[in-house]
Amino acid sequence: MILTQNLCKKYGRMVAINEMNLSISTGTVFGLVGENGAGKTTALSMLSTLSMPTSGYAYINGYEVSRDPRSVRQSIGYMPDSFGVYDELTVMEYLRFFADCYRVDRRIVKRRAEELLERVNLTEKRHTYVNALSRGMQQRLEIARCLMHDPAVLILDEPASGLDPKSRLEMRGVLQNLRDMGKTILISSHILNELAEVADEVGILRKGSLVVIAAIQVMLQHSSAYRTIWIQGFAPHGVMKRLLSQDQHVLEVCEQPDGWEVLYAGTLAQQAELLQRLVQGGVVVSQFREQPTDIEQLFLRLSAVQEGTW
Amino acid sequence: MRINPLLAKEFHQRMRTARAPIVITVYLLGMVVLTFFMLYENVQGQLYLVQPSKSQQVFVLLSLLQMTVVAFLTPAFSAGSVSGERERRTLTVLLTTPLSPFGVLLGKVLSSSALLVLLVVVTLPVYSLVFLFGGAVPQEVLAVLGFQLLTIVVIATICVLFSTIALRSTWSTVFSYGTVGMMMVVFGALGYGLKTLYQQNPIELFTLHWSQFFYALNPLYVEAALQGAVSAKPAIWLTFTEFYAVVILILLIPSLWRLRPQWFARLSVRPSGSEKQYQ
Ligand SMILES: Nc1ncnc2c1ncn2[C@@H]1O[C@H](COP(=O)(O)OP(=O)(O)OP(=O)(O)O)[C@@H](O)[C@H]1O
Ligand SMILES: [Mg+2]
Repeated sequence: MILTQNLCKKYGRMVAINEMNLSISTGTVFGLVGENGAGKTTALSMLSTLSMPTSGYAYINGYEVSRDPRSVRQSIGYMPDSFGVYDELTVMEYLRFFADCYRVDRRIVKRRAEELLERVNLTEKRHTYVNALSRGMQQRLEIARCLMHDPAVLILDEPASGLDPKSRLEMRGVLQNLRDMGKTILISSHILNELAEVADEVGILRKGSLVVIAAIQVMLQHSSAYRTIWIQGFAPHGVMKRLLSQDQHVLEVCEQPDGWEVLYAGTLAQQAELLQRLVQGGVVVSQFREQPTDIEQLFLRLSAVQEGTW
Repeated sequence: MRINPLLAKEFHQRMRTARAPIVITVYLLGMVVLTFFMLYENVQGQLYLVQPSKSQQVFVLLSLLQMTVVAFLTPAFSAGSVSGERERRTLTVLLTTPLSPFGVLLGKVLSSSALLVLLVVVTLPVYSLVFLFGGAVPQEVLAVLGFQLLTIVVIATICVLFSTIALRSTWSTVFSYGTVGMMMVVFGALGYGLKTLYQQNPIELFTLHWSQFFYALNPLYVEAALQGAVSAKPAIWLTFTEFYAVVILILLIPSLWRLRPQWFARLSVRPSGSEKQYQ
């Protein structure tokens, strides 16, 4: 449904997207994760025909974005990362305007608009002016707008950015709702956890390259199997490092000025044994605690540790 | 055929606020009062000796006044049309809909001239009044009306194109009013100056030629010619139309590039700026 082949985008000499190969099948919710400046917006704007790939191809619904942009536009609903709304219109008029742009049959516009407002929890607001809506409501209205012409594919650029926790939760509900509609959805976000309950598959983008693509279950399994342990203590030079590297479950040791950050893949019992061994080995341990795992960081590291094994 | 969605939306939006009907009413009232006053001056309180030539003057004066008002009012509606969408970040989404750049431009031109067209049309009865007093023949009234509508559309188009090319509404407003000032004042003054030069030195025929050319670009002069108030042939409206059609075509190229740089990608003219900031 969405397919890219060696998709590249360069701004002058800067490579914003490098050889992106992506295949998202119908009905899948795909999350594109990356930090600020990773190239998420660049990738999505090529897929939504706003900018031309420097090289490579991208197909949406079978149409190539630079050869058949009109058909692509008809097949997608695109929500940009920062967008404005026509605030002199009411919610209903707003949706009707975009339905007109997409030449949706007049007779079904009203019914569809009401249906969508129901889905995004804005039914009571349908005669409110758009500028009287909160940011979170406007963001949900924007999602309804994307769906007015019933596109097969939705491309949402950071739909939950700038929202408070409560609105994020509401947005997540809306996105889960869309998944149940069977749409193919591409969502970008800079926080992986946010996509955990929404996406089926996740791709991590770093400096324009897709480093990892994995099913969300795999991702979650790994995040429960792997832990980051923070160790602080006093030990003769080199002892700590030696003891840690003797443990086969330690994947990576990262020495910090005031301690060690250890990527650990063992069970809790094995973890306890490690602590015991450290103490027996003469390390005065002052702190030994599991840190909240940043899944994205974990994945980036894993991909560095075991290059391309999945 | 479905009407342009931008036109429908914006016309609806504009007519909903109290401002548009108020502007139209006030303007119409002003015109009516002015006409009555001038006609009254003309007939001096008696109705058995109406001087058609004086009524003709009233007609010319009124229509020139209307042309001036309308010409300077048009940029107020059109100069911020596309740049405003860009500033409010609504343009990106508009460009991902199947509405083509031509559709966007057309919608903006039509919606920004709609109110002015209405303004001109509602004054038609006032002109008929003048016509009643022998000031004009119906064909003349229609020709003047038609030309005013043409001028509105020409100015609105140029302003919309400027607002597409200039990234900021301030710049687009500057360019738009600059253009209107050029059309209304500079071209007229140039025509007049060259005419004077020619009269001082009748051998220099080319000054006469250029004087006529500049006059033909001045909406006020063309309108006067349509009314037979100046010596020029009414057909100079054709020169007017041709000239501004060329201007519009030239401005259309950078405008389309702003809206869809992709269309020009094949021409290997690498855009120097970045695409994103325009959308
Ligand atoms: N129009 C442009 N001209 C030049 N460079 C650009 C342009 N747009 C983006 N870039 C560069 O491309 C890279 C990727 O930018 P992009 O906006 O795609 O990142 P992003 O992942 O969406 O980041 P964010 O999370 O901040 O939205 C950045 O380094 C940015 O500086
Ligand atoms: Mg972005």
